Amino acid sequence: MHMEKNPAIPDAAAGPAVYRQYARQWLGAHLPEHMRADNVNYRTPTLDECRAWEASMYDAGLAGMTWPKAYGGLGLTLREHLVVNKEVGALAMPESVSSIGKELAGPIIQTVGTEEQKQLFLPRILAMQDYWCQGFSEPDAGSDLARLRTRAVQEGDSWRINGQKIWTSGAAKARYCLLLTRTGTVADKHRGLLMFAVPMDTPGIRVVPIKSIDGKVSFAEVFFDNVVVPDSARLGAPDEGWNAAIRVLSIERATNRMYRAWRFDCELRQLVAACKSDPQLSRLLDDGSYQRRIGEVVGEIDALKGLVEQTVNRMMAGDRIGARGSLTKLYWSECHQAFAGLALALVSQVNPRSSALAQRARKHFTTAYFYARAETIYAGTTEVQLDIIAQRIMDLPKDLT
Amino acid sequence: MSHSDNDLRPEEFAQAAAEAIQDAQARDFRDAARVLAAAGLCGVCAQEDAGGLALGIEFALPIATEAGKLRLHWPLLEHLLVAKALGDSPLAAQLASGERVATWALQGSLQDGLAGQARGARDCDWVLVADGRGGGALLDLGSIEIQEDEALDPEHPQSWLGLEGAKVLAALDAATFAALQRDSHILIAGFVNGAAESALATTAGYMSTRVQFGRPLSAKQAVRHLLARMRLLQEASSAGIQRVLATDEYGRVRETRPVLANALANAAFVLEKSIHLHGGMGFTWEVPLHYALREVRKFDAAFGAGALASQVGRDFIQSA
Repeated sequence: MHMEKNPAIPDAAAGPAVYRQYARQWLGAHLPEHMRADNVNYRTPTLDECRAWEASMYDAGLAGMTWPKAYGGLGLTLREHLVVNKEVGALAMPESVSSIGKELAGPIIQTVGTEEQKQLFLPRILAMQDYWCQGFSEPDAGSDLARLRTRAVQEGDSWRINGQKIWTSGAAKARYCLLLTRTGTVADKHRGLLMFAVPMDTPGIRVVPIKSIDGKVSFAEVFFDNVVVPDSARLGAPDEGWNAAIRVLSIERATNRMYRAWRFDCELRQLVAACKSDPQLSRLLDDGSYQRRIGEVVGEIDALKGLVEQTVNRMMAGDRIGARGSLTKLYWSECHQAFAGLALALVSQVNPRSSALAQRARKHFTTAYFYARAETIYAGTTEVQLDIIAQRIMDLPKDLT
Repeated sequence: MSHSDNDLRPEEFAQAAAEAIQDAQARDFRDAARVLAAAGLCGVCAQEDAGGLALGIEFALPIATEAGKLRLHWPLLEHLLVAKALGDSPLAAQLASGERVATWALQGSLQDGLAGQARGARDCDWVLVADGRGGGALLDLGSIEIQEDEALDPEHPQSWLGLEGAKVLAALDAATFAALQRDSHILIAGFVNGAAESALATTAGYMSTRVQFGRPLSAKQAVRHLLARMRLLQEASSAGIQRVLATDEYGRVRETRPVLANALANAAFVLEKSIHLHGGMGFTWEVPLHYALREVRKFDAAFGAGALASQVGRDFIQSA
């Protein structure tokens, strides 16, 4: 479909190098200066600007790499996905404003959705026409979904939903919620879980924004009071849909946001370049302790890139990736969070007489430092990842056998 | 046999290497050389004309990793690299066959008149040192004064080499020596990561069987999480090492020092925590984890004990 839209998109058969070159040139030429976090003319882009940018990336063949052509994707492999991610990471561009749709809802719908649902939802996600939010977490059920309370009761051809979700990113802008409910009682624990694609304009849904420590209002509490949706909103059967989704999520955890290792590299370059642009900060770089710390970060970034590339190689070879996505997520989040602390220490020395690049870096990395607090929390906390590694990768016994 | 042979895979060398190394560890230094050479390990990267297998460094990596896992003190990494660097010289053939044994002084230079950190120098025939002008020189250890330093490892001490009047057997040009240094970074990273992998396996096994309060220690969250962190770092090192074997997207060789610095730091962490998790037993001479830690710390010292990361940082700052 992309080939028809945009003849400039290279044929994947030409090889990853050709696709890489194309992605690099296109992104470099089209990313607006004001959206580059390392540019002195940066300003926080609006939601519409981000949407337009991501839509243009899609039109250029740089999104939906592995999604089937029938649903608007390019039908390519993880190899091309990685190639594009490296180039995306190399530029200081905004994070996706549709990550829930592209990284979570889309892959799950591809696996458990009906053909009608796939045709309805998937192309619109890629084309940036619909935003999605994720309704999994509840006040009493974070990683422990056995405690999920939001309940769906079937009434003829429809379902009545009651409950409360929290930490729902993007709820205010979302057109749909990927909602996890239970059909029985809490006593059923992991049994009877059922997913829906719920239109956010359905009567009975109330969104209460939550301000986060980075000053943004990007997530919310969402209340479902007697929300009635048709059976066509259901994604899979009870249990079946959710179990399939869990398998999808383990793959997604390993393949989502592959650009992060290369973005990490980009951020380190931005930080050092900003320091070098300013006489006072430049002197800090002569300090052996900073030099050593920067060297350690370089080593961590190399290892992180290795973990990502290893994942792609294994998946391309047909290996099951299992829980190994936890290694990448945990390593990235902890190393990046520590880096944010290093960056804050350096940019804390910026004053009104500092260079423009240094002042830009101060704003960027101060926000990044606070946002980095979330990195060891979302998508499974550090402790959850450590549990997964201990249990599923190391197979450490909890009892005598 | 050539590098391009498609029927050989690096990982297949690990098992054969492990068997030969275990055999060698039961023998004296010279016998060990013959066993390791007979298994093809000494000449794995040496030219075919010198009796080697002419394989790439990726085939030496699993050998280095197994050597680390098995805590081999014999200077196999250094030896096979020197054999590679000597090309079709008759000296290379003597190394590939195990007739002679070479090591590598990772610190100092011929120009300085002093070199150090040459593993097994007392038992070896030859030593490679930097010449101080970018290249390298292979010296006859018989012409060199060796002073041992037992502070870090009394059983396998570090050594200082007085190079006044040393007999030069061969010279390596700057390009050859630089390529060899890059290879050495990869193999040393593989060696210390192998040591970490082995220690982690031993420790996880012990934690799974050591019962306290009616349950194995591995049931305790604090222990499980520490073991998981150790695994994470060891896996991160492995991934970095594998990655540096391949050229980058533009066909350029990748920088090896960040990977080595990371592998040294991660291996030290894993070994220190392995000793810790063994409790009082970990503190004894009998539990061999300390041998591996000493070896890692000797390599770390050879690269300036953190100086490698600082240099990586300076290079990055320069390039940004």
